[in-house]
Amino acid sequence: MKTKFHIKDLDLFFKEEKVLKQINFEIPANKILGIIGPSGSGKTTFLRALNRMNDLEDGTRIEGNILLDEEDIYKPDYDVVALRKKVGMVFAMPVPLPMSIYENVVYGVRLSGVNDSKLLDELVEKSLTASYLWDEVKDRLKTSGMRLSGGQQQRLCLARVLAMEPEVILLDEPCSGLDPISTAKIEDALTVLKKDYTIILVTNNTKQAARVADNTAFFLMGELIEIGSTGQIFTTPNRIETNDYITGRFG
Amino acid sequence: MQDNFNQQIENLKINLIKMASLVDEQAEKAFTALETGNVELCRGIKAKELEVNIYDNLIQTQCENILALFQPVAVDLRFIISVMMINNQLERCGDIAVNIAQRVKKTNEHHSLIAETQILEMGKQAREMLKNAIDSFINNNIDLANKVIDSDESVDKFNKQIFKALVLKMQNETQLIEPCAHLIVLTRHIERLADHATNIAENLVFYVNARIIAHKKKFEKWGVSDQTID
Ligand SMILES: Nc1ncnc2c1ncn2[C@@H]1O[C@H](COP(=O)(O)OP(=O)(O)OP(=O)(O)O)[C@@H](O)[C@H]1O
Ligand SMILES: [Mg+2]
Repeated sequence: MKTKFHIKDLDLFFKEEKVLKQINFEIPANKILGIIGPSGSGKTTFLRALNRMNDLEDGTRIEGNILLDEEDIYKPDYDVVALRKKVGMVFAMPVPLPMSIYENVVYGVRLSGVNDSKLLDELVEKSLTASYLWDEVKDRLKTSGMRLSGGQQQRLCLARVLAMEPEVILLDEPCSGLDPISTAKIEDALTVLKKDYTIILVTNNTKQAARVADNTAFFLMGELIEIGSTGQIFTTPNRIETNDYITGRFG
Repeated sequence: MQDNFNQQIENLKINLIKMASLVDEQAEKAFTALETGNVELCRGIKAKELEVNIYDNLIQTQCENILALFQPVAVDLRFIISVMMINNQLERCGDIAVNIAQRVKKTNEHHSLIAETQILEMGKQAREMLKNAIDSFINNNIDLANKVIDSDESVDKFNKQIFKALVLKMQNETQLIEPCAHLIVLTRHIERLADHATNIAENLVFYVNARIIAHKKKFEKWGVSDQTID
């Protein structure tokens, strides 16, 4: 099994506060990793560390290493723009741009200099199909992305990430606020996508991790408490903290 | 939500204990009738069956609801699974108590035959196993559960010995063929009761230790462990 990310002795500080503590584990390629944990446990911070989004924040500092395909993404000459292309991210709140569905999908691709309309057409169909949205919008690609429902907007954002042809997709609570059918569509899309991508899914809904993740990591107060196959975590967790969290006995 | 869940779990456990005490009463009567030859005791056993079945259905429905509404995981999921299994085992124990009572009535005139073979010893052991199995899950007592599991073998041994003795009896005294045949069936019922008590104990071990131990002996004989089967 190929390792996509290798996290070694990772500490992350916001100014003086240490919000990630001694994180050590490997993330296998072409699998879905679910990350669960209570609010404030460091899930988002960890996810953003994987494509250096925390760098945008002043006073962020890390110790330890994060290797992507065996290369340290925090080494001084690492190409951060290339990193963010390779490691795409979908946020909790869908952020459609005030433009057509079509232009929403190809936005990043155009920015990177591609303008061949045949190529873009293909990319739009491919990305929208993979994000399970094509059938719903194929007849109105020119209408505004803002006019889609919340669930559709979220799939549009996924399509925008897919159009960039990344290798890793990070998702931070992509289904919060979505109805069960929209949620199921995203989950179905992820399950298919993992053949070609490495997927890391932060979710506040432990049941969602149980449904779609191959492996599940449990974070608590900045620490990785336990990681294992999703089947093991949800039937026989090794740590009492994990047990208490997934059974809702927490706090 | 957690409070509601805990309340439902508590309620489920109470119902299972009520069901267990009904089955325990049935078994108590059946085995006392066997021991004393007092067939009067057999009367109430069949009547209890209706009540047992009502609890069986109630527990089944409660488990289904909890699974659907709370989707429990880990230790909570194991609890529901073991309640469903234990419920099922208890219901069968109740049936067996009825079966035993029927055979006791049919062999009543041959009580000396019962005393002669080791049927009473076997019955005592099986009765004790059921009692301990029930106590073990009421009190989460793993040691007691393991004791039940260990006793199963000696009941099987009794069963084989008694079978041989009864066959011999039938060969030598043909006028005893009918009561002996009833007694063979009776010991078979006792043996099944001990099996169900063992299963109940195994379910408790599964709930507490997250280990499935049913069929362990067979696996050992075949040289495979339960871990090697995916
Ligand atoms: N920009 C920031 N500056 C300072 N502290 C921050 C910043 N972002 C997050 N933190 C702190 O880092 C810790 C982890 O936050 P994070 O957002 O990673 O948690 P989370 O697990 O994603 O929680 P939630 O489930 O609520 O999204 C928290 O204590 C938070 O207050
Ligand atoms: Mg977060």
